[in-house]
Amino acid sequence: MAPMTLFSVADAIAAALLGLLGRLLPAGAAHAVTAPDVVLGLATVVFAAILLAASMLNTILLIWYERKLLGRFMDRRGAMHVGFAGLLQNFADGLKLFRKDTVRPREADSLGFWASPTAYMITSLLIFGVLPISTGWNDGSLPLTLLLALVIFSFAPLFIFLGAWASNNKYSLIGGMRSAAQMIAYEVPILLAVVAVVVLSGSFDLTTIVNEQRNYWFWAPLFLALIVFVAGMLAEMERIPFDLPEAEAELVEGWNTEYGGMLFAFFMLADYLRALVGSILVVLLFLGGWTWPSYVPSALTSFPLAGIVWFMVKTYLVFGLFVWVRAALPRVRTDQLLRLGWMRMVPLALLSIVLAAVVVAARCLPVLGCIPSIGG
Amino acid sequence: MADSPARTGSPPLETTETERPSLWVVRPLATAAKQFAKSLWRPSTIVYPFERLEDPKFRSAVGVESGRPIGVGEIWDNYRGVHALNIQTCISCNLCAFSCPDVCIEMVTVPGGDPKHPKKCPEIDYGKCSFCGFCSDACPEGCLTMTTRYELSVHKRADMVYSPQKMYEVFQSKLPMNPIRVARPENEDAIRLDPPLCIGCFACSRDCPTNCITMVDIPKATPKPGEKPAKRIWKEPVINDSDCVRCGTCISVCPKDCLFWGSRE
Repeated sequence: MAPMTLFSVADAIAAALLGLLGRLLPAGAAHAVTAPDVVLGLATVVFAAILLAASMLNTILLIWYERKLLGRFMDRRGAMHVGFAGLLQNFADGLKLFRKDTVRPREADSLGFWASPTAYMITSLLIFGVLPISTGWNDGSLPLTLLLALVIFSFAPLFIFLGAWASNNKYSLIGGMRSAAQMIAYEVPILLAVVAVVVLSGSFDLTTIVNEQRNYWFWAPLFLALIVFVAGMLAEMERIPFDLPEAEAELVEGWNTEYGGMLFAFFMLADYLRALVGSILVVLLFLGGWTWPSYVPSALTSFPLAGIVWFMVKTYLVFGLFVWVRAALPRVRTDQLLRLGWMRMVPLALLSIVLAAVVVAARCLPVLGCIPSIGG
Repeated sequence: MADSPARTGSPPLETTETERPSLWVVRPLATAAKQFAKSLWRPSTIVYPFERLEDPKFRSAVGVESGRPIGVGEIWDNYRGVHALNIQTCISCNLCAFSCPDVCIEMVTVPGGDPKHPKKCPEIDYGKCSFCGFCSDACPEGCLTMTTRYELSVHKRADMVYSPQKMYEVFQSKLPMNPIRVARPENEDAIRLDPPLCIGCFACSRDCPTNCITMVDIPKATPKPGEKPAKRIWKEPVINDSDCVRCGTCISVCPKDCLFWGSRE
């Protein structure tokens, strides 16, 4: 029996549903409905629906997690009244935003104004299609998932700038320009840091990268790359200390100044979706994905879906690190941001590539063990 | 060309780095982590409607014993909150209403007086009250005091007016109260009488809330030569100074303005 993947679950659900439908229909139609292609098509839809529900639920949970954690950093309690420990607070907030009117400024460009939140949201959700959460998540059918994820990830400045420009508001436009400059500047160190991981693992496939970390996780030899990647992700997510594009103190709300109601909720959700993607990428590339260290007792690793649980725990810990940084550090200036990006991060990333090459050349690290050979 | 016009412009942008830049990141992170560890079990927030500062369990944490400045988290016993009124001991002297700077006290009739002299007690409009405490300072009987109750929100504006009965309920709830002024000042003014003007009308003794004015016979002034001695017996108020609360009711009711404030001796 093939290992159970999320797609096989979706396939089974689709087959069951269509089989039920086939029993109600006359024989000829039933045959057409239960054809393999139809089942495959519905399975894809079910797969996407499961992914959508899981990612949105995790995003909302992530917002709650940040609010609670940030509260503790500030010596207060976060949301605590709606639901148990405030778990339902974000649903209440979302409901409130949903009921609000969405107002478009009269001078704003209609198409750009409406399209950009939607496109931002869609591209942020799209990344989850290629991220493996556990073994056999998506059959390893895509050899370039890492590159695909990063490419979709870097669509964002386009839509942010589009929305900001279409808003016809000077604060929006300044925020959008800052956002585009910052995201494009930090793409470079992020990609260079990823190159170090690719050098060490020998693959662009995220599943393979995780499998290559069975001897040791990549954060140990590539600590510099991890720092560069985390800092770059903070800039890409526009979180404090790199939240210049929506600096509340100087630009009203940055590039989403003119957005209210559900459109604002879209931007907000997409921001946290990208934060979730960033945390997941850090876990996949540097922290061993769904694997666990060998010294962990088997009681903690042998229950069903252990891989997913380990993965989510790591993801939330990494996001906790982001919250910690947000609680501690002030916002940087634009010149500091760009100087940090080009003059610190890029050299560090290049250095980490060299380190990765040295590790590959040496094959073995005295403490961490041997890395798998590259190219069969 | 040392001071060329180019040099006299804005000074060059300050780019010197005072400390090691790595500390700019590490030090705040350590501070935040320390705070996180401190408030992980219990943050400083007191969840007000469910927890209260006056709860004894917070006294040691945020009260006087914590070493913080006095008053942080401590409800003092002389906190000026809602008034408590003891209707039984109120003498209707009007001093509270008289001393109120916001004119928020109105004397209203309460049951318990005799028909000729209805008993009047203060009714306070908290929409106007500024909680200065002058009324409770002025109260000679210590029946109007201020408690530590601080929750005053109501749904209707009319509910802000506290009737004497309502303040009597506050009194009966035995909240901590302001200390009541007991000793009277030594050099207090007293009511003086200008005898030649008095017509002996009894108005002052009738209206005195403490019944400290007695009307006594006065020896008739010796008639002038050629004048008939008057048949009527003249009476004059004598004020028992130790019972007098200096409310001034007698002065205000005197039809001849023969009573006035003066030093005691």
